[in-house]
Amino acid sequence: MRAAECVVVGGGPAGLAAARTAARHGVRVTLVDDNAELGGQYYRQLPAAFPGTVEARPVREQAEGRRLMDEVRSLGVEVMAGSVAWGIFDQRTVAVATQDETRRIVADTVVLAPGAYDRPVPFPGWTLPGVLTAGGAQNLMKGYRVLPGRRVLVVGSGPLLLVVAHYLLEGGARVVALCEASPMRNLWRYAHRLLPHLNFVQQGRRYRQELIEARVPILTGHVILRATGTTEVTGAAVARCDADWSPIPGSELMLEADAVVVGYGLVSSLELSRLAGCEHRWDQAQGGWVPVRDRDMQSTVPGLFIVGDGAGVAGAAVALEEGHLAGLGVAQRLGRLVGRDHSAEANRARGRLLHLQGFRRVMDEIFRFGPGIYSLADEQTTLCRCEEVTVGEALVAMREGGRHVNEVKAWTRVGMGRCQGRMCGPALAHLVARETGRPVTESGVFTPRPPAKPVTLAALASEG
Amino acid sequence: MTQSDLRMSPPAARGRALRILVDGQPLDCHEGESLAAALLASGRRFTRYTARASEPRGYFCGMGVCHDCLVTVEGLPNVRACLTPVRDGLRVETQRGLGEWGGLS
Repeated sequence: MRAAECVVVGGGPAGLAAARTAARHGVRVTLVDDNAELGGQYYRQLPAAFPGTVEARPVREQAEGRRLMDEVRSLGVEVMAGSVAWGIFDQRTVAVATQDETRRIVADTVVLAPGAYDRPVPFPGWTLPGVLTAGGAQNLMKGYRVLPGRRVLVVGSGPLLLVVAHYLLEGGARVVALCEASPMRNLWRYAHRLLPHLNFVQQGRRYRQELIEARVPILTGHVILRATGTTEVTGAAVARCDADWSPIPGSELMLEADAVVVGYGLVSSLELSRLAGCEHRWDQAQGGWVPVRDRDMQSTVPGLFIVGDGAGVAGAAVALEEGHLAGLGVAQRLGRLVGRDHSAEANRARGRLLHLQGFRRVMDEIFRFGPGIYSLADEQTTLCRCEEVTVGEALVAMREGGRHVNEVKAWTRVGMGRCQGRMCGPALAHLVARETGRPVTESGVFTPRPPAKPVTLAALASEG
Repeated sequence: MTQSDLRMSPPAARGRALRILVDGQPLDCHEGESLAAALLASGRRFTRYTARASEPRGYFCGMGVCHDCLVTVEGLPNVRACLTPVRDGLRVETQRGLGEWGGLS
């Protein structure tokens, strides 16, 4: 047991920005991240063992991230990389484990910046080796300079697909097709709202132009139906879809590929905010739960702030501003801003956030999540990847009376595996909603339990 | 490194060459790579067979969330290949089911 003024969980853009601002105002910050290196997914660096000089082409965000990490370290932030924050007790006591030991940090303030992960969407064949998430493909290419395959099909929705395709082409892979679920029609309607964000728009157009020049078919209004193969993926069937992302019968198209990258948007990691007892609300535009926050990014638990994609997916630019605001909130709560007027600084950050949210809203509308995507799975499809529970088995539990995700869990073991329901939770909630004819918000969520991530028994036993 | 692997950058831009053992077979890779990256670069897509249906599984989320790319490393099962860096001489085994605790006697 030890005490800390501020514990920041998550070393991506949001967590780094929060740590920097708090440290600048004299707060002693401890930054915890379970990766060996800071940066999160967006700022993910090449391994330190890779010589930087030979291939002096770190991508822009890697260079930006490096600067931010250096700054955070030079401000004296205590960095606990390779450490897992596996629980929060008594509102602000954070349990942190390494491979060999665990300790509890009683914090005056906590900033959660846990990030997001690819929305898991079950479809026949989604467990085949060679089917991977967009985030997984990005990490492999950006973090290790390794391609997921040579002939790669990219399916899903949103701007991240263009970025993935860009890296694939750059690495010399063939992109078999890019299937975007959104119809992408009548985009001129958004022109006036996108005008203030031309830099983002132009970046997207450059990526798209690259695909066109490489003769990559861009199939808008298309979703994956199933991945095919026996021991690994050899192809996939795709089909046209409606505005709800439900496939349209009779429009099936078979494509050959040795890897299939799937990215139907991202969902926030909410395990720690739920363990801390924060209130959450359903966000229709996101198609997911998000923590309730005030304008300083403080959750309903006093002194506990939540920032970045872990509080609603909005990207790195928003994460940086939210982190900054939380850093100010932490400093203020700890009395470091007494006699100083920081409201102007906070208001400027809120103004920038408002501006960025304008872009986010347009993106959420263009790539509006379609729950019809959850109709792809058939009864034989694996729902829970860990415990190997099929959709059909979950349906039996529901037909026998299960009306809440936790009831289906107790019945079938769905969500009891190592990923702790992160992979099956969102899909199960939609299945329950469909079966019971109630809104998805009524399906509930898996009760969170520590450890939020696996901890060795040796580490737990070491706790004094 | 052979031309047939899936590495996007030349060996000179990677960490020093080292060798791990995968199911007893040597696999060349580079310092700094994760186990998952090293396996995928060589075209090996699966890390384990599941407990119930004996299905092959491999790298999926790539960020330590899904727990599908589990391998047995130095006798310790359920290690996430995507989060584990390679080390010279590291013994890695395809995991079957829940794995066996080879390190314990």
